[in-house]
Amino acid sequence: MPTVVLMDVSLSMTRPVSLDGSDEFQRKNLAVHGLNMLFEHMASNYRLEFTSLMAFSSLWELLVPFTRDYNALQEALGNLEDYDKTCVEAALNGVSNVVQQEWGSACPCQVVLVTDGSLGIGKGSLRHSLQTQKHRGDDKKFPLPFPFPTKLFIMSVANAEELQMTDAMDNLEELLRLSGGDGQIFTMEGPLCMKSVQAMFGRLIDHAYSPFHAVLHCGNLSSDVQVFPRPEPIVMDEEVEPMPRSVNIEVDEVGTGTTDELEEEPSASQMAGKSPNFCVLLHGSLKVEGMVALVQLGPEWYGMLYSQADSKKKSNLMMSLFEPGPEPLPWLGKITHLGPISEAAENPYGEDDSKSPFPLQPSAKRSYAQNVTVWIKASGLQTDVQKILRNARKLPDKTQTFYKELNRLRKAALAFGFWELLKGVADLLERECTLLPDSAHPDAAFQLSHAAQQLKLASTGDSQYAAFDHNIAPMHTDFSS
Amino acid sequence: MKMFSVAHKTVFVVDHCPYMAESSRQQVECDVLTKSRAQGVIPLAPVSKSLWTCAVECSMEYCRILYDVYPLHKLINYIVSDSEFHILNSWRQEDQSTHELMSALAAVGPPNPREDPECCSILHGLVAAVESLSKITELQHERRTSLMDTAERVANRGRIICLTNAKSDTHVRMLEDCIQETILEQNKLAAGSDRLMAIQQCDLILVHIHPQGEDTLVSDRPKKEISPLLTSEIHCVRAGRHLSTKLNILVQQNFDLASTTITNIPMKEEQHANTSANYDVELLHHRDAHLEFFKSGENSRDLHMAGTSTRENGLKETITLKWCTPRTNSIELHYCTGAYRISPTDVNSRPSSCLTNFLLNGRSVLLEQPRKSGSKVISHMLSSHGGEIFLHVLNSNRSTLEDPPSISEGCGGRVTDYRITDFGEFMRENRLTPVSESSHDPSGKLPVERAKAQLERHTRYWPMIISQTTIFNMQAVVPLANLIVKETLSEEDVLTCQKTVYNLVDMERKNDPLPISTVGSRGKGPKRDEQYRIMWNELETLVKTHAGATDRHQRVLDCIIACRSKPPEEEERKKRGRKREDREDRTEKNGSKDTDDKSWQESERLKGLVDKEEQESEVIKDSPDSPEPLNKKPRLCTEEVQPPERAKGPVSLLTMWSNRITVANSRKHQEFVGRVSSVNNKFELYQQLKDENGMDVHENGKASR
Repeated sequence: MPTVVLMDVSLSMTRPVSLDGSDEFQRKNLAVHGLNMLFEHMASNYRLEFTSLMAFSSLWELLVPFTRDYNALQEALGNLEDYDKTCVEAALNGVSNVVQQEWGSACPCQVVLVTDGSLGIGKGSLRHSLQTQKHRGDDKKFPLPFPFPTKLFIMSVANAEELQMTDAMDNLEELLRLSGGDGQIFTMEGPLCMKSVQAMFGRLIDHAYSPFHAVLHCGNLSSDVQVFPRPEPIVMDEEVEPMPRSVNIEVDEVGTGTTDELEEEPSASQMAGKSPNFCVLLHGSLKVEGMVALVQLGPEWYGMLYSQADSKKKSNLMMSLFEPGPEPLPWLGKITHLGPISEAAENPYGEDDSKSPFPLQPSAKRSYAQNVTVWIKASGLQTDVQKILRNARKLPDKTQTFYKELNRLRKAALAFGFWELLKGVADLLERECTLLPDSAHPDAAFQLSHAAQQLKLASTGDSQYAAFDHNIAPMHTDFSS
Repeated sequence: MKMFSVAHKTVFVVDHCPYMAESSRQQVECDVLTKSRAQGVIPLAPVSKSLWTCAVECSMEYCRILYDVYPLHKLINYIVSDSEFHILNSWRQEDQSTHELMSALAAVGPPNPREDPECCSILHGLVAAVESLSKITELQHERRTSLMDTAERVANRGRIICLTNAKSDTHVRMLEDCIQETILEQNKLAAGSDRLMAIQQCDLILVHIHPQGEDTLVSDRPKKEISPLLTSEIHCVRAGRHLSTKLNILVQQNFDLASTTITNIPMKEEQHANTSANYDVELLHHRDAHLEFFKSGENSRDLHMAGTSTRENGLKETITLKWCTPRTNSIELHYCTGAYRISPTDVNSRPSSCLTNFLLNGRSVLLEQPRKSGSKVISHMLSSHGGEIFLHVLNSNRSTLEDPPSISEGCGGRVTDYRITDFGEFMRENRLTPVSESSHDPSGKLPVERAKAQLERHTRYWPMIISQTTIFNMQAVVPLANLIVKETLSEEDVLTCQKTVYNLVDMERKNDPLPISTVGSRGKGPKRDEQYRIMWNELETLVKTHAGATDRHQRVLDCIIACRSKPPEEEERKKRGRKREDREDRTEKNGSKDTDDKSWQESERLKGLVDKEEQESEVIKDSPDSPEPLNKKPRLCTEEVQPPERAKGPVSLLTMWSNRITVANSRKHQEFVGRVSSVNNKFELYQQLKDENGMDVHENGKASR
């Protein structure tokens, strides 16, 4: 998940920190020290994640766009300049724009706001923003919550007591609440010094930037893996399942399927092989065979592994997580009911791999896959009537189609209680009968009047003739045999 | 959406009283006369639907869309009300289909206009609806029993959609009051029943239907809370087109749906097959497929809203996406962030059915966002899986997964002789197939557990690289290797395995070459017997991991043990006066895991030595046919060289002299602990490791020493 570091470069950040030692530090120096620590940690443990650096005061500036180049980020930290007052709202608007332009609004993002807890004064201050945010028009809405899922971490280069002396803590807590509540406020413990800022960023790292190590098992074969981005726990239904589900670190490979059934799936994570073995073998074979492997991530939570190649020749093992549940892909059925092919009487993939037991067909067809009758629009009804008349004129050649269409109309008319239509169509058929040319086959007249009579009987609602499952059968004549 | 939100249960209550038999006064010409036939023919009078017909067909549309988008867990109970109530289906999943409902509706038939209006009322149906809402559904029951201690989390909410012709606002209020009272009564009943649940929330949607051109005596009213248990909204709609539009909007609101119009679909004209025109098709689906649009819309960026059009007094919105004619049928992988079932709004129109048939036949269509700037952005894809069409959301922004490192840069990435093909074969054997729930024995292991068990069996001994294995490089071993991993063996299987073993014995007798890292060796090397030892050891390792499964597996192992100790080898060993044999026999008899590993470990070690030896031997040998040089012995045998003091017969001058030197030298330094405490000049190294770790370092087949 990408990170935006939002660094307060207002004048208050240059306040000196009183120290017993000879060195004099500004709060900014402490903040930069902590961020350097974060970037170093990410460079070694999180190097596949994207991070950007923004500085703000009354204005905001994107110093480093999203990158995996942590040197560039550290370099920019070294060149920070000091500006005027703090204006959090403007900066958050900036974050919103920068993130959406880069990743759209569906990609979850972490925001690390580094500030000294001196949140501006007067108009533009956080206090003012929060006080007025409820009384604004749609065009000037407060930027929180962001349109994208957010984790907001507020790193305060001040201790909790200092923040509580003013309403700064209340305002920061309100900010966190507005962002959706996912995140945390970190404050310095003890005196403001390098050691305590390290401790604070250490807590952030443990909380949000710990690498995800897991073991991938396939029977007795296994491999240690690290997963990027870190799969986050999710809450499926806060009412029935209020506990978030998280990915087990023991990932079980369940079996394999062919790729053409599993095309593309929600949210992918990338795995990097950490120990010299099974992952590389698995990846190689998945790639060559064009297959995917099903993995179990937890109780009723599955995903798949496959070889993902970018445009160049590089390829890697990717893991896509399915939505938690017993049946994440309806066309595979319940995962627990997938068994080994060795138990099947004959190989469901065919001896030459020409078949596949997938996709499973749903028990009931969807409306578009069956010939449903809808007469909401007049044209629907007209089309169905005309179809019958067209076939009626081609009797007896079209006897089967004629009755099929007639029965379809009859069923719908009975269900909709539209008996008037049955009478009307019966009249039409009788008229067609009188209009038959001399050259017409004698059977045609018999079938038309038979059909008309049956429709009229059905339109009385007499249970003998108006049963839904009953079909009008072609009249048996001497000609038709 | 919560699993048990009001959307879980919907009750339709449709008025079947005599006044519903009235005409909607919307006429349909179904007799379209062509000019050539028009002369002298009196066209059929137009037909008109009754209020009942209008209500039924619109409610069926509602159900059709719902079932298309949510095939499970969004349930409908259909009730018809006249002088009594008629419940047409139940909450059970098998009753949830439009076909079931249509069949039941046909049995009810249209209202009887001659029935006594005094006896008839929509109230019968509404009371039945409340009773029905308190009945537990399969899903509620399942979750309640599975959650046990937290069963109270399973909520009971529902919605009543009442299609009726109300008399007045007072009449409507009376209906609401009555529902409220029934809920309270029903909740009291539910307290003492297992099959009933108290209703926590009920949303009433009352749709007052009146014929065209008639003033309504009932007024519209937005959603209002009647009590903490009941909300109510009133819609007054003219029968016909307006009613269908209203129910279409309701189904979208009630089930979080949104509309997408696919535009620019090229389609051959029905009449002129060689011309094509562009058509639009509207689809409904879960609104999350538009997440990106909504969010951006809020942010009032100019990006997407170009595609939005507003219809029907702003009540209904659709997002327009452009059809991109598929160029190839190749399967492209896209970053997909979601897939949502669709339902066409106008299911049996020609453009709709052309599009859906195209997709059902296995084709996919990419959809493009019309943007003001004119840039092309593919944001969605339509494709079917197993007879269901899904709207896939594609990531059109930069991906956080871009530019991943190559797997070869990671650990193990530089190893080149992975058994890729063999593992491919392994995967194909371990593929999965659906097992129908009916054929699954509920007392037994789940199919997926059996699949995992098979994976476990198949990987008990599975070297990952070619140079780590001999037997898996040998065609001759295949029949046995394929069979031994089976859970049970037949007599025939045992026979096949034994044949494989005999075949190997035969090969050994004939001195056939083995595919042991053939680099540098020329034909029949002198160490062929060692190659066979390695092969036998490895085969034994493989079979031992399965020997405990059944007696038949054990018999295969017995066969190997019996066959491998063969006279020629023995002779050779005797010739060398080996003590090692004893130890080896002990190893073989003792079929525990430790010794498995040991023997495998040993074979690996031996193999390394053999490879080395063979390379050396190449230098020494004159020709492949020359006799084995007497002085050339495998290095591993050096410890077996008969100790000088035990030598019998005359001793050479060299031996005497070197003994003397050795003794002299040994006085000058402290002897190594190992040599002092050695047995037969052998001392086991790293004994402490054995104590610390046990000997299970190879348990998962990673024999990589």
